[in-house]
Amino acid sequence: MKLRKIIAILFAAIMVFGLAACTAGSKGPVEITFSFWGSEEERASTEAVLEQYNALQDKVVVKPMYIGRDQYVEKLNTMATGGGMPDCGMIAEDSAIGMARNGLMSNIDLYEGQESKPLDCIIFKDAGNPVAYSTANEILALWYNKELFDKAGVAYPPATLDKAWSWDEFIEVSKQLTFDANGLHPGEEGFDKNNIVQYGCYVNQYTWQLEVWALSNGGRWFSEDGTSIVFDNAAVEAMQKVFDLHLVHNVAPFINGTVDAGFSLSLGTGNVAMCTEGQWATGFGGDIDYGVGVLPYMKEKANICTGGAIGMFAQTKHPTETAEFLRWYGSEDFNFGAIEAGWWMPTKLNWYTDPALLNKWIFENERRTTIGADNYKTAFVDVCLADGVVRSTGWYYTPNTTEVLYQTLQPALVEAINGSKTAAQVIGEIRAALEAALAGG
Amino acid sequence: MESNKKLRLHAVARREQRAAYLFLIPALLGLSLITYLPLLAAFGIGFTDLRVAHFMPNNPPPLQFVGFKNFIDIFTNPSINILNSIKVTIYFALLAVVGSIVYSMFIAVLLNRKVPGRAFFRAIFYVPHILPAASVMISWYFLLLDNGVINYIISQFGFERVKFLDNIYTVMPTLALISVWTCGNLIVIFLAGLQNVPRVYHEAAEIDGANSWQRFWRITIPCMTPIIFYNLLMSLVINLQVVVPALAITKGGPGGPGQGATRFMSYSMYQIAFINGEFGRAGAVAFVFFVVAAVFAFILFATSKRWIFYQGDEKK
Amino acid sequence: MQENTRKGAPRVQYIKNKRRGAAAANVIAFIVILFLAAGAVFPLWWMLRSALMANTDIFLAPPPFFPKDWLWTNFILEPRTFDFWLYLGNTLTIVVPCVVFGTITAVFCGYAFARLRFRGKQFLFALCVGSMLLPTMVTLIPLYIVWSRLGLVDTYWPLILPYLCGGGAFNIFLVRQFMLTIPKELDEVASIDGAGYFRTLVSILVPNILPAIIVVALLIFITTWNDLLQQTIYINSPHKLTMATGLTQFMGSYKNDYSGMFAATCLSFLPGVIVYLIGQRYFVEGIVMTGMKN
Repeated sequence: MKLRKIIAILFAAIMVFGLAACTAGSKGPVEITFSFWGSEEERASTEAVLEQYNALQDKVVVKPMYIGRDQYVEKLNTMATGGGMPDCGMIAEDSAIGMARNGLMSNIDLYEGQESKPLDCIIFKDAGNPVAYSTANEILALWYNKELFDKAGVAYPPATLDKAWSWDEFIEVSKQLTFDANGLHPGEEGFDKNNIVQYGCYVNQYTWQLEVWALSNGGRWFSEDGTSIVFDNAAVEAMQKVFDLHLVHNVAPFINGTVDAGFSLSLGTGNVAMCTEGQWATGFGGDIDYGVGVLPYMKEKANICTGGAIGMFAQTKHPTETAEFLRWYGSEDFNFGAIEAGWWMPTKLNWYTDPALLNKWIFENERRTTIGADNYKTAFVDVCLADGVVRSTGWYYTPNTTEVLYQTLQPALVEAINGSKTAAQVIGEIRAALEAALAGG
Repeated sequence: MESNKKLRLHAVARREQRAAYLFLIPALLGLSLITYLPLLAAFGIGFTDLRVAHFMPNNPPPLQFVGFKNFIDIFTNPSINILNSIKVTIYFALLAVVGSIVYSMFIAVLLNRKVPGRAFFRAIFYVPHILPAASVMISWYFLLLDNGVINYIISQFGFERVKFLDNIYTVMPTLALISVWTCGNLIVIFLAGLQNVPRVYHEAAEIDGANSWQRFWRITIPCMTPIIFYNLLMSLVINLQVVVPALAITKGGPGGPGQGATRFMSYSMYQIAFINGEFGRAGAVAFVFFVVAAVFAFILFATSKRWIFYQGDEKK
Repeated sequence: MQENTRKGAPRVQYIKNKRRGAAAANVIAFIVILFLAAGAVFPLWWMLRSALMANTDIFLAPPPFFPKDWLWTNFILEPRTFDFWLYLGNTLTIVVPCVVFGTITAVFCGYAFARLRFRGKQFLFALCVGSMLLPTMVTLIPLYIVWSRLGLVDTYWPLILPYLCGGGAFNIFLVRQFMLTIPKELDEVASIDGAGYFRTLVSILVPNILPAIIVVALLIFITTWNDLLQQTIYINSPHKLTMATGLTQFMGSYKNDYSGMFAATCLSFLPGVIVYLIGQRYFVEGIVMTGMKN
């Protein structure tokens, strides 16, 4: 008898739990969900932006749905299968075109007929048609720990494009900043590469970032129309040069590139003097006093741009409200929090040319003045404006880049990064797989 | 009289049977609805081109029956190469299972002695088992970094730093070692088994002059075979399903799809289904996966009669 | 008389030798255990020490084995990024029903397989054992599609309901093995007294295998507590995240707060450790009883 009672109570308890888990939203203003990823600080700033929008009008309530970057694509896919996708949200760059092709995104072109559009190089295009727009513009730069440079008495890296280091100069400086437990530098008699205390540089090997070196060396990863794999000799040679920083020159730490934490595992540890990373590193802050310069170059000065996209998902029941919100969100006037915090650069051209606007986001901005506003301006704004230097990352025009970059290239490259094979060998072995991955199912 | 008794027995048996089915309702539901029907469904999906696009409201494509295309594709498409996944999964499972069984048996034998602080040690060896698998991997990742503490110790002894997780040859033993570290449940089960080995056998053998090594192999091990079997089975099932190390750290590498050292079957399936949204293809992988698991289980069960010693057998 | 003493002396000597030998072996065993335990505990210590350090100290070369300042404040994590109490509540919402019903139904099924005679027993038992071997991954996709068609994704039902169905074959198997070690005469006596099957189970068998039931409950607890894969797939809303998914989400953001990450990790396994420490007495005793005989 007693046991039965207990079971009955437990059953009732489970029902309550379940109901609590299933409660539906209430009536009132239209509710739309916005999914996004980001670091802790980015998350705070995004949530603040949504609250600002909710306070601004009373027709729509936008609810934030934070998802870790590592699971973002999986979660969107599973939610899509379950019919529970958010109404809109950020889109991982590598999956933008794939999502559009799978019908996960609404067909509405947010900026059709709008005067102020994002920069052309950060519009995702499938066979030339825009499918998604980045909300931020990010290019790469060379970050450095000022303290370590001062200690070694080495001049800071150049911050203007015309003074950019050549690859050999970059290696030379890195050597000066690398030393082992006995204070010896690479190349000196008795240098112990097993006991390096401080490294000169780390060139980020998180897969997509390596594309910049192919361009810098005059090569390509993908054909211009995004339909085929190129990975020409120049591209492969460039990769090898990057890996050789650790393997041959002993000036870089070994970080395998499957984990997207290059900045914090190198510069962030306080014992690496320089590292390459995107503009968003401006927002990292932390305990290290760091500055910024331009990337070194191999044959031509090159950089790549990217930026998380936003889009409306196909399952939304409120397309007009969602589109309106997204356009508001895509406007620098409103998402300025993320720019101010250092995570984003604006996407509209006038923010790079209008002195008043430049003042607003660079010269009067705390994060950027800490880093050095003048250097910041030449390393980012001037590079963006320079003719033919910044090019779109492959995923702006190539489909299935998740499969190509992360499922095929990334694990394979570890073998070249660790030196058991050359980059040429690795690419030779996986070329067919890369092509199959690009072609998709 | 006779027929009456038979009738009563019959009624009792019927009542017993009814009770048994009532008790088994949950299991029957579970076995059919969440085990065997989904298995058939996975097999069925494998013959279609089902993908995430089919679930979308904007003109979803019609679902097509594609025959064995997916099954051929997963073996021949160089960006999938399921054969490599099967190979590495089996390699990992064998390493981890053998390592776990030997390690847990060794610890259990030691802890079975009258050593001080047994409960404390038992807890220490058991705790890794209850840690969330993803945190375990992330923590080990930091231990094993090139500038991590383990490599620091290695370099202090004058050896070259080891790229534990980033070398095709060291990654598997390393991951197997981590798996061995988390096998506390096996230790506890072995301990229980050791305490159940009848004392009289040991005493008798001792009087016959057998040393402890001989006693271990001739008495302890044979008496423990049913438990070894149970642990082998559990360990095998768990380790064939390995996915977390690849998800959390190695991303299937080192090595591309053809040689990807940690491109485990579960990981391939996860990628294909949940990242690429290709459910049909993933269904094909699921079925191949099931076949591999079934073959291993079959081998284990088929050979079990030969090496398992049941104490009850002498009654036969 | 004389014969007795002559026989007794070597025997005493023998026992003495044996004891001395055993003592020496125990000392060696203790040293080996100490060594292995140090190895097993080292990663745990490293997590804790990293959780207690300032971010930049974590990567110092050479790595410090102890924190310079013990920063216990690292454990105060902002609820926005790692909401320990919310995750704990959510996880328990899943784990408690799973443990309760999983254990109850496992006992029912185990009882049927151990004690009752019925048609198709062999076949059903084979199916049951067979399902033990089936990797979860294999059925994940069809199950996911069904749950999503039922509109139950992003609820806890897909994580709980399977445990209302026998609590997994491993546990049914374990309960059956336990029950087989209880003499059958015990429940025959009860049935002569007129007790039905349910009462026999509840009043005779359950008290006898209580330690085993606790073992099963603990096993279910640990499996559901750590079921990252299914929780990741089924749970979407931030306020429904569990300990495991909350932790991976926390780790999945761009990382620059490593000590925070380690602190969250340490926090996330605290409840599991507490449950183990409470259960360990029963747990160990419980397993002793099974004998695992077929």
